[in-house]
Amino acid sequence: MAQPLVKKDDDRDDEADYSPFLGIEKGAVLQEARVFNDPQLDPRRCSQVITKLLYLLNQGETFTKVEATEVFFAVTKLFQSKDIGLRRMVYVMIKELSPSADEVIIVTSSLMKDMTSKTDMYRANAIRVLCRITDGTLLTQIERYLKQAIVDKNPVVASAALVSGIHLLQTNPEIVKRWSNEVQEAVQSRAALVQFHALALLHQIRQNDRLAVNKLVSSLTKGSVRSPLAQCLLIRYTSQVIRESANTQAGDRPFYDFLEGCLRHKAEMVIFEAARAITELNGVTTRELTPAITVLQLFLSSSKPVLRFAAVRTLNKVAMTHPMAVTNCNIDMESLISDQNRSIATLAITTLLKTGNESSVDRLMKQITNFMSDIADEFKIVVVEAIRSLCLKFPLKHRSLMNFLSNILREEGGFDYKKAIVDSIVILIRDIPEAKETGLLHLCEFIEDCEFTYLSTQILHFLGIEGPKTSDPSKYIRYIYNRVHLENATVRAAAVSTLAKFGAMVDTLKPRIFVLLRRCLFDNDDEVRDRATLYLNTLGGDGAVVQTGEDVKEFLFGSLDIPLVNLENSLKNYEPSEESFDIYSVPREVKTQPLAEKKAPGKKPTGLGAPPAGPPSTVDAYEKLLSSIPEFANFGKLFKSSAPVELTEAETEYAVNVVKHIFDGHVVFQYNCTNTIPEQLLENVTVIVDASEAEEFAEVASKPLRSLPYDSPGQTFVAFEKPEGIPAVGKFSNMLRFIVKEVDPSTGEAEDDGVEDEYQLEELEVVAADYILKVGVSNFRNAWESMGADCERIDEYGLGPRESLAEAVNAVIDLLGMQPCEGTEVVPNNSRSHTCLLSGVYIGNVKVLVRLQFGLDGPKDVAMKLAVRSEDEAVSDAIHEIVASG
Amino acid sequence: MLLAILVSNSAGNILLERFNGIPSEERLHWRTFMVKLGADNLKGARNEELFVASQKSVYIVYTVLGGVCIYIVGKDEYDELALTEVMFVITSSIKDACGKSPSERLFLEKYGKICLCLDEIVWQGILENTEKERIRRLIGLKPPNPTEI
Repeated sequence: MAQPLVKKDDDRDDEADYSPFLGIEKGAVLQEARVFNDPQLDPRRCSQVITKLLYLLNQGETFTKVEATEVFFAVTKLFQSKDIGLRRMVYVMIKELSPSADEVIIVTSSLMKDMTSKTDMYRANAIRVLCRITDGTLLTQIERYLKQAIVDKNPVVASAALVSGIHLLQTNPEIVKRWSNEVQEAVQSRAALVQFHALALLHQIRQNDRLAVNKLVSSLTKGSVRSPLAQCLLIRYTSQVIRESANTQAGDRPFYDFLEGCLRHKAEMVIFEAARAITELNGVTTRELTPAITVLQLFLSSSKPVLRFAAVRTLNKVAMTHPMAVTNCNIDMESLISDQNRSIATLAITTLLKTGNESSVDRLMKQITNFMSDIADEFKIVVVEAIRSLCLKFPLKHRSLMNFLSNILREEGGFDYKKAIVDSIVILIRDIPEAKETGLLHLCEFIEDCEFTYLSTQILHFLGIEGPKTSDPSKYIRYIYNRVHLENATVRAAAVSTLAKFGAMVDTLKPRIFVLLRRCLFDNDDEVRDRATLYLNTLGGDGAVVQTGEDVKEFLFGSLDIPLVNLENSLKNYEPSEESFDIYSVPREVKTQPLAEKKAPGKKPTGLGAPPAGPPSTVDAYEKLLSSIPEFANFGKLFKSSAPVELTEAETEYAVNVVKHIFDGHVVFQYNCTNTIPEQLLENVTVIVDASEAEEFAEVASKPLRSLPYDSPGQTFVAFEKPEGIPAVGKFSNMLRFIVKEVDPSTGEAEDDGVEDEYQLEELEVVAADYILKVGVSNFRNAWESMGADCERIDEYGLGPRESLAEAVNAVIDLLGMQPCEGTEVVPNNSRSHTCLLSGVYIGNVKVLVRLQFGLDGPKDVAMKLAVRSEDEAVSDAIHEIVASG
Repeated sequence: MLLAILVSNSAGNILLERFNGIPSEERLHWRTFMVKLGADNLKGARNEELFVASQKSVYIVYTVLGGVCIYIVGKDEYDELALTEVMFVITSSIKDACGKSPSERLFLEKYGKICLCLDEIVWQGILENTEKERIRRLIGLKPPNPTEI
């Protein structure tokens, strides 16, 4: 800038309201910009005006197209000035204005002249500006100069060209890829930054060529890399090479020595990068992990918060897969609980929660209690989620953990935080039967003084479902009825429904519930009165101790069987008339969300906000969807729906995945199709399934998809009959068949005539695991013992040579499709034997428990003892058959 | 990618902001988020004491320099340690441009020069120069000292 560096006296420093830009106004500055057109340019004045323009732009101000064009043309005049300071400002200004393609031409010749100038700095800046504003055509014209610039002896010119290359690779990859030789030469540069930029660009150019990246890494790890930044890049690329070659090379891990050597580098940045890379290696062993953990442990007590943060963040991740490796750091981690930086403290706490054992839970909870009072809600939510996982891991500790949750529930906090706690308690109640009654009472206490209507109604609804099933349902009534007295109409209405549920489910309570419901008839809110009237008139018995009919219960509390969105739309469209609203007119098909909406990114940067409100029950959604299709309505109860299996590669013309729905005597394939071509409309879409390799299956129905427009997913179904209750398996090949119509992109209208076409999809398999539901148990030993040994089947199997014990364990878990219990799916490193506990429900609703004992027999051979207990010996046998034939 | 550099005064008013790869409709959100982060944590902080936070895959390093607060947001290779490096370059260049840790007024007086420094340090989300001496020469269109290379 042209202003000289003047030392101001301190008195003026204190004038808080003084600002050189005080009262700055866009219109006035644009007027001032006319000085750029003066025949006698005043460089100092011009620089000041440019500064003002920059100030406006850097404050988020925008210029209209006309304004930007006007300023741009005026700025180009400044190339006439020989003033160096002004020239530098002009370069910045042009980049900021990013002129449109038709305007660029005005300035091209001036920049081209600068680019071939003898003054190095003109060259560097002109390259940057040109690359910022250029398009493909111009780029081919200047390519020759850019290639020269990459190997220019002036490092600033070389860096400018290389960084330009990094940006241009996004828009003109084919041109930049031609510069490989020059970039390769620049990687050997003596200038540290040139090497850094060249390495980044060269890797981007060659990232899809595994061999080339391997070669690059091999040569650079032997030589010397000059800057820590480049060294960090090299470590990242090395990790990538290790990841990709891990499966092909036996013996010592390649490049591990390089990573380990970097742990002794003098720059902390490099040490950390290497430590992190080691912790992220696939199947990292304890021996490999130890040196990395040691340096991270040292960082934990660093005086620099950034280092502490980086270290604890990495250890937190390691704790998820190798909790034992991190336990050495627990003492350092405990001291971080009082770290001033709350992010560090929260990460330390959540790591400790992951690495702690059952005996340390109580001590840890004491520490957390003090810590919770002085952190923000967003961190508290993270802690609550960690405690929830801990409780599921150690169900026997539910009492102290549940108490902790209930205590923090009583303290001050915002909605998201309270919701996280309530969600956690609900999950614990569902998963740990022993925690149910205390958990419900904690929720009851909470609604006595809850300021959030949403949470009160949710809890009341939950109480209505779980309360009547407890040993003494009457103790919840007081809390529920209090709501009718003390709360707003929404909560009162919810309380009335909950009371009615108790009345319907617990016959002995019915007379007393009726008394309470009658009192609600005088409520001043319509909804509350209407609900009370409805329940009093339908529950039956007029308040006597009689059973409420199943049909009434279904009518009052059963699910609607209609997607709520559809019901809402139909009600909105309903015009009051003589004709009453017909609920059967509501469409039952779920309209899938258009792809574009799904892709909308989570814009909330404060992602520590609300946790997801528990996973939506997809099985329920599938069940409703399938029962609404007449062809499948008589298939009975849906047993299991698989996760979607992709039948197409990513980014193909048509994306198809399939969900396998298993019924007792049928299997339905739900093909979820997406058309990714804007110029096409597909009609009458079906999947032709060849079941010749699935002998026990016979196709019984197919439901085509009428129309599949661009980017709006739809479903087509094919149903097969199979022997009832038998876990039949087989292979199915699939062909997508449809009529394709051209769509005019400008109008969006499709042509009338279409052409029939087919598209080959991947094969699909129905496997034994499809017939087993993943259902966990909170205490495996109890469940195992109470199941008894009547239907127990035990046998031993040799699994042959395996890469590791963990790989064998995972293979058997995947084969059986059962739920691992008590974290036994994790195999500690270097162990020679392991026991894994699984639980599930077999088709026909038969509970199954499995105890797998693995042992290494020789260097790689794995032997397994399989013990199965179930309620039916045929099922125990079936599990053995699955393993024997798998 | 360096997603954003923000400079505010101690009251949270934005003095300078540069975003890379963040759509304009999301910028207000970021601005508010960072200013809140500063309001929560920077009160009473030592000059140039570094603060760090992460948000999903995004890292934020921020500090107080005289009368202004500086925030840098990065992702991928620009993690917390790389951002620390960038922050060091930025603070030393600003101090160099202003002659000392700047008050808000001094920062605004040297605004043009600071913009040039930032232009040399970060180019569309990529770190370009890291040496304050070199940056000082480059903003005056002077070649770097041969000994610095």
